[in-house]
Amino acid sequence: MTNSELEKIAKSVRKAIFTFKTMDGIGHLHSSLSPVDILVSLFYDKKTKFNHEEDLVIFGKAHGSPSIYPILADFGYFPKDELEKYCRPEGILRLHSDSSIPGCHFVGGSLGNGIGYASGVALANRDKNIYLIMGDAELYEGSVWESLMFINHHNLKNLRIIVDRNGLGTIGDTEKMLKLNPLDDKFKSFVGEAECIDGHDYTELRRVFSADSPQVVIANTIKGKGVSYMEGKWKYHTIVPKGEELIKQGLEDLS
Amino acid sequence: MENNWNRPSDYTNQRDAFIGNLFKIAQKDKDVILISIDMGAAALDQWREELPDQFIWTGISEQHSINLAAGLAACGKKVYVYFMAAWSARCFEQIRYSCAMADNPITLLANGVALGYAPAGPAHETNDDIAYMRSLLGIEINCPASVTATEKLVEESYNNQRLRYVRLERHYDQRFDALDKTNTTGISTVKGGLFNNALKSDKTKSVIVSYGYMLGRCLDTWIKIMDDSNHEVTLMNMSVLKPNPITAKTFEGYDKIICVEEQTASGGFGSIVLEGLSDAGVKKDLLRITLPERYIFENGDRNYRLNNNGLSVDSIYNKVLDFVNED
Repeated sequence: MTNSELEKIAKSVRKAIFTFKTMDGIGHLHSSLSPVDILVSLFYDKKTKFNHEEDLVIFGKAHGSPSIYPILADFGYFPKDELEKYCRPEGILRLHSDSSIPGCHFVGGSLGNGIGYASGVALANRDKNIYLIMGDAELYEGSVWESLMFINHHNLKNLRIIVDRNGLGTIGDTEKMLKLNPLDDKFKSFVGEAECIDGHDYTELRRVFSADSPQVVIANTIKGKGVSYMEGKWKYHTIVPKGEELIKQGLEDLS
Repeated sequence: MENNWNRPSDYTNQRDAFIGNLFKIAQKDKDVILISIDMGAAALDQWREELPDQFIWTGISEQHSINLAAGLAACGKKVYVYFMAAWSARCFEQIRYSCAMADNPITLLANGVALGYAPAGPAHETNDDIAYMRSLLGIEINCPASVTATEKLVEESYNNQRLRYVRLERHYDQRFDALDKTNTTGISTVKGGLFNNALKSDKTKSVIVSYGYMLGRCLDTWIKIMDDSNHEVTLMNMSVLKPNPITAKTFEGYDKIICVEEQTASGGFGSIVLEGLSDAGVKKDLLRITLPERYIFENGDRNYRLNNNGLSVDSIYNKVLDFVNED
């Protein structure tokens, strides 16, 4: 699959996310748009090593996990009309994914815990590859670094850690609020391998996901990617656009 | 930019009422420090802009934040930590060790208690926080039911620094702004029944006691009982859960007590009432109406979830009547 074909899929995934999130105005749309290219690369680019039938994707940043719903629907994990019932009593898709949803694992919603859980799954299943999607602001949790020491000590190379580095916390730029950089050096000092890439560039994503290393992929992304008025604006963390004009503009941007 | 935060009438939620009123105090006292654990709020923007030296954003780091707050408190600062209520479990040890044990008073502003963050799921929702937080020694637990009660609590927390867990409701029933303006000190009558109204034919002496968001549902239940049944009940608000405000006189004259709470039955609000009665040497019939003993994985907003889990007004009404009709 070419990069432009993958980009086209990503756009349709973002449009689906935008549509079901703005339906009732529930959840974290902003955070769900940044990791889409990572997921599209894993699920749709045959040149990557990821195999959705065997490997597991676990979300540390579960508030961004609805990004995977349109993809799982496309792969037949559940009917596509579930997207229209997102967060509604009659639907199965939740604001934070959990293991009751086909294709999802772990109870989402509490940051800094997914990595410890994923290390347990990786330790118990060394023949299985675990792909953990983390948020960058999630790295403020001390438990993350406890787990990294364990992962390194037990050589859990089957656990790929992907950081959705969109650079924003709830109320601002991570580097202005509380510095995370140099992030790659921090990860290297804990597990040895880490690399920063452009998380929206399919050539870069293909390169790292078709190889066994680096173990930690810091994917630089844009929060709110694809929606012009949301991109990189921290105030949208908990705000879902409302009103005909904003929704129309968002859908146009993603069309 | 227009400053909306000097007009208390503008506050439509407890969080902004607390932070906005605290801001006014902080303008005059540089020792007042607000720590935000990765939380945003309209009222926070003013702190960030006008009192940057008194505002600390610590990111998603509950354990560090509490230890930091304890250190600041030990140096004489008046520290308020604003975070999502669900994460109080995450820094429980730091609250116990660095604050309770070491006697470092801080005020925990726990936002979105109970099912307030629905439909975010059980990780964000505290159906059990009263039980574990009240196990901490020396802590005071406050459950304001209104903005007016929240504003009084700001003054109280500033004037009387101690380890406090303030349970802030994301949404509250605005009728309580007018109904109960003095409920920061313990337990108070919101709506009288038997003793404040003309007695009907019924002989039952019953009282419903609740707190926070559930008081709204209890008020609707009270209205329904007074209108539709032959029974008369009193509604009480218990806004302080620890130290236990119940004395031998609290329920004097009542035969039956109904505790309604947005928590599970394990060690929560009803347990506090039972313990208070037991310690006071009082024996009464008591019914606990609670959430079911499970983590609730359901879609739907808070009201839908409450209705779906035994806490609709009709359900509370029926349970109360069944209970008061028992011999």
